[in-house]
Amino acid sequence: MHIGLSLTPFGHHPSAWRRKSGERAALDFGRMAAQVKKAEAGALDFVLLPDQFGQRPHDDLSPLAVPFEPTMLVSALATATSRIGLIAAAAMHQHEPYNLGRRFASLDLIGEGRTGWNVIGSDDPDRDQEYLDVVSGLWDSFEADAFTYDKARGRFFDPDKMHVLNHKGTHFTVRGPLNVNPSPQGRPVISHVLTPDTLDIAALADVVFLPGATPDALKALAASLVERLATRGRRREDVRFFANIIPSFGTSQSDVPHGFAVIGTASNIADQMQEQAAAAGLDGFVVLSPIEPEGVISFVDEVIPELRRRGVFRRAYDTTTLHGHLGLARPVRLERAS
Amino acid sequence: MSADQMKLGAFLMAGGHHIAAWRHPDAHANAGADISHFIQLAQMAERAKFDMVFIEDAAAIRERNPEIASQAARSTSFEPLSLLAALAVNTSHIGLVATASTTYNEPYGLARTFAALDQLSGGRAGWNLVTSASDLEAENFVSSGLRPHGQRYERAEEFAQAATTVWDSVDEGAYVLDAEQGVYADPAKLHPVDHRGTHFTVTGVLDSQRSPQGRPLMVQAGASDVGKDLAARTADVVFSAAQTMGEAQAFYADVKARLAKFGRQADDLKIMPGVSPIVGETESEARAKYDALQELIPDQVGVALLASYLSLKDLSNHPLDGPLPDMPQTDGIQSRQQLIIDLGRRENLSIRQLARHFAGARGHWQLIGTPVQIADALEERFRGKAADGFNVMPPLFPSGLDDFARFVVPELQRRGLFRQEYEGRTLRENLGVRTPARSS
Repeated sequence: MHIGLSLTPFGHHPSAWRRKSGERAALDFGRMAAQVKKAEAGALDFVLLPDQFGQRPHDDLSPLAVPFEPTMLVSALATATSRIGLIAAAAMHQHEPYNLGRRFASLDLIGEGRTGWNVIGSDDPDRDQEYLDVVSGLWDSFEADAFTYDKARGRFFDPDKMHVLNHKGTHFTVRGPLNVNPSPQGRPVISHVLTPDTLDIAALADVVFLPGATPDALKALAASLVERLATRGRRREDVRFFANIIPSFGTSQSDVPHGFAVIGTASNIADQMQEQAAAAGLDGFVVLSPIEPEGVISFVDEVIPELRRRGVFRRAYDTTTLHGHLGLARPVRLERAS
Repeated sequence: MSADQMKLGAFLMAGGHHIAAWRHPDAHANAGADISHFIQLAQMAERAKFDMVFIEDAAAIRERNPEIASQAARSTSFEPLSLLAALAVNTSHIGLVATASTTYNEPYGLARTFAALDQLSGGRAGWNLVTSASDLEAENFVSSGLRPHGQRYERAEEFAQAATTVWDSVDEGAYVLDAEQGVYADPAKLHPVDHRGTHFTVTGVLDSQRSPQGRPLMVQAGASDVGKDLAARTADVVFSAAQTMGEAQAFYADVKARLAKFGRQADDLKIMPGVSPIVGETESEARAKYDALQELIPDQVGVALLASYLSLKDLSNHPLDGPLPDMPQTDGIQSRQQLIIDLGRRENLSIRQLARHFAGARGHWQLIGTPVQIADALEERFRGKAADGFNVMPPLFPSGLDDFARFVVPELQRRGLFRQEYEGRTLRENLGVRTPARSS
């Protein structure tokens, strides 16, 4: 089973912040980093940093989002952790593809191969597809063994292993190459929150988050994605499917939307996770704790040991990259015509 | 802060500022892809009480010809903002200045990204605003090619103004987290942006708390007439390139004189020319360090770099031992072009000699000598109203920065010319530039 944590300062319950009245320190980097370190102590696959597209209702700044721009937070977290994956959301309509491709490539070097991009689509699917094609092409600018650093011959990299993209499309003109070295995992992991309208984005992703609170709803969405994958020559096992869970220790029902409420003791929660995974055909879960940091602490201290006893979750990290944690093959450089 | 103390920036670059630094036996060849290398440099600069580290930028590979690009370590690097976010949480006092383009970004997105750097660092972020003069950058963003100089600056003016309103959209203490009243953020302390200009429409409110230093520090390096006006109106720090005392004094007087027409004082803006120091225990040891680096420059690389500074596609069809050809004024960086032409004429230098000279310090002022000689030269320019401080560009990292930190900084401190301890926590406090009040 694969497990990620959705990072928030106070928790996913809309009123979580009310338990920390006046506690602005909860928005500090140190407090966010403490949650991520706890998740790393539990050998979780990744933390997911959601974004509110930087545009929130001005009369209601959201306590649910990370407290500032997520890619910057990922970079800082990368130096405070060593193994856990770090996935930042970024919207395609808010960045030029060269800038976004470059930011994530840079993050993936800083995190030594632990970075992911959670793709937020625009209202133009055609543009989105071209965008993803450009970013993917930019990430293939250098072959893995291009950099030879041959001091004696004065050769920093092998020019035959650099690929100029020369993209001229409907929406974008991007010459390339990217001016960042390739990372230890080749390129960042791509994830996406699937909706019925974004099957084409999800069909290019390594990780897909399925919103929904019933196994039937999830299965239907997953089935349509598997069909779409086939049209791209991809298989179900090339992609990791995740659903959200909202763990509540004890009896109180949570009203956090878009996920399974799993309630009870650690053992009850582990039971429900295993059942839901089997029923909906899932590879894992993203934990949306109603209250943080208590949620991640309880989950790592109580549920993770229970899952380990059952032999369904790793005892320690056995790989160093996010691709590795997720059991994904190292991505292959695509040969492009241009 | 003492008005008679200079400011120091550490201009970081992977292997060093010398174009061939990465080939030096002491160089860590893959430094540009190693975050721990940059953390080490930032911590070294912080121990020496530097005001800031600075990262330059180009949103493109810097050389079109793959053969030449593959011989230059500057072909790849970290993206500056993500690099500084990593340095922010591994340092505590030093300023963090990243270059970012107003031509290929949007105001809200860039403003919130710098705001995040200010949150991560406790108010130590700075933005070196550039308009991106190269064709290679343009080709990564637009099909129509590089926009003319005037148009880029017009967009930059509006961009800076819009970014400022985004930073000012949240007051200090706006996040009240009042559980009893159910108020997370006080609406009276939020000022939603409604910018509708020629180039941008920006609405919404900044997605983070107000910067501990009010707003990120504003830095500029443009030295054209329109660039100097923009700096005089909006910048807290100006980076410049000046070879001689006369050039440096003229630039200093010119920019400072422009401040009055924007209602600003001479002290409101610090002018920090670049300097490339090569420090030795003796002058001959310093000279030997320089020669060892110069020998590593491939002609092809040096000449290509010179051509790019001149905004020329190619110089290789001219004899290397002859003078520069006559050339038209370009839409690229006009000020640097003139500096190179002037130096070539003044010292009667060939293309090869100019290429080597510029490859060494990349057009900046070069000092080769003992700590006392280097401190003398810096003091002369500081006292001679040619500089408020310096942006230090060591030819080789980490040893060049280490030499400056261990030998030149103590000499400057002994003379009372540089701080012994940081005055404050934010970049603005340490530089002695005001924390701006919210503009209304």
